[in-house]
Amino acid sequence: MLAASIFAVALLAGTSPAASRGFVEITGGTFQSTVRYDGDDGKRSVAAFAIATRAVTAREFDEFVRTHPQWARDRVPSLLADSGYLANWPHANADAPVTHVSWFAADAYCKSIGARFPDWDEWEYVAAADATRSDARSDAVWRGRTFQDGTPRAMDARDGASANIHGVSGMHGAAWEWVGDYATLMGDADKRGVENGDRLQFCGATGLSFANRDDYATLKRVALLSAMEPRSTLGNLGFRCARSTP
Amino acid sequence: MNFLLRSIAAVAMLLVAPMSAIAAPPALPGDSVYQVEASVVDQDGRAYAWQALRGRPQVVTMFYAHCHLMCPLIIASGKSLQGSLDPRQREELGFVSITLDPARDTPAALLEVAQMHRLDDHWRLLRPGDADVRTLAAALGVRYRAQPDGTFNHTSVLILLDRDGRIVARSEVTDLTPDPRFVATVREYLTGASAPGSN
Repeated sequence: MLAASIFAVALLAGTSPAASRGFVEITGGTFQSTVRYDGDDGKRSVAAFAIATRAVTAREFDEFVRTHPQWARDRVPSLLADSGYLANWPHANADAPVTHVSWFAADAYCKSIGARFPDWDEWEYVAAADATRSDARSDAVWRGRTFQDGTPRAMDARDGASANIHGVSGMHGAAWEWVGDYATLMGDADKRGVENGDRLQFCGATGLSFANRDDYATLKRVALLSAMEPRSTLGNLGFRCARSTP
Repeated sequence: MNFLLRSIAAVAMLLVAPMSAIAAPPALPGDSVYQVEASVVDQDGRAYAWQALRGRPQVVTMFYAHCHLMCPLIIASGKSLQGSLDPRQREELGFVSITLDPARDTPAALLEVAQMHRLDDHWRLLRPGDADVRTLAAALGVRYRAQPDGTFNHTSVLILLDRDGRIVARSEVTDLTPDPRFVATVREYLTGASAPGSN
């Protein structure tokens, strides 16, 4: 009963005109991130912000390209996108999340609607929820289902998959999602192991570890994102936007 | 045959056009870091587009003023590089330091850094718009993370850009003086780039 009302509220939040352009407010809070940096316990404080209730669709990105022709497949400069950029254009399903987009392209899209990328902490905070719990991660069954993230078998890729308790859909969908600070989720791998290398190249410590070894799905996501260049594109990597709240 | 000749002529025109077009600047190379759009304000409070730096070779770094370990090293390393150039090369090369911390590094704070390090007018200390810091860092291959205590982890690197914003060379900063090989590359590049008829 309680779950059902929460779900109904979530649905309302996702579709109400107040959440203009499909953003919902996320109340901030303290949060145990799965990702730890050297000398931290993984506790993060996430400030209140707004996040898109779903990933940017192929149709929306198509519209962006029409109004910002410098982002067309045949015009985009090599700095900003690799040769796979929009390789699947036109999409078979215009309502599906857009993929084959570089970080730069996604960054430009979010800026064009007065938004920004979510950062990893924000993304992880929202993605920890299921339809009834703001943090479902202690549920081994739920966590097991997240192993399918980024594949067509992902839990949010099913027909009729419900929004999470925040009213946000598709966080565990068939496509991975860029985040603003993806590049710093791991240290620069090719500099690991260099004597004193980290201390000299960074102002401070950088080592990363995982708080929960069971959280394989998160590890896989972070590893994948860390391997990307900002011009990289993948057939199962899309994005959504976020906004800071004043 | 005629068609072939016309094609050759057309191709020749295309090749010649960029050199003769003095009024309109040639198209920006696809791999130029000036392909990203960003707005910046310098230590003198002047606002311009990031792309306005095009036109002369630049050595670019990212830093922040409240950093007490690496960032003075980054600037010292740049100054040392500048000191190793001959007068003509010095005249030619610009130095651009972009802050990772636009919230605290106001133009006034950047001016203070410039004065403290006695940076000459070849140096520009830039504060990007909030939303543009990450975009510039991505274009330059600089990784950074804000820490809860107000510091930043970041890659410390000197990057040589050609006039059009293509990355010629990059060098990790590990000391008060830059890597001698990087210095040699910069000197070589400037000698080549300032020779008549070359670019």
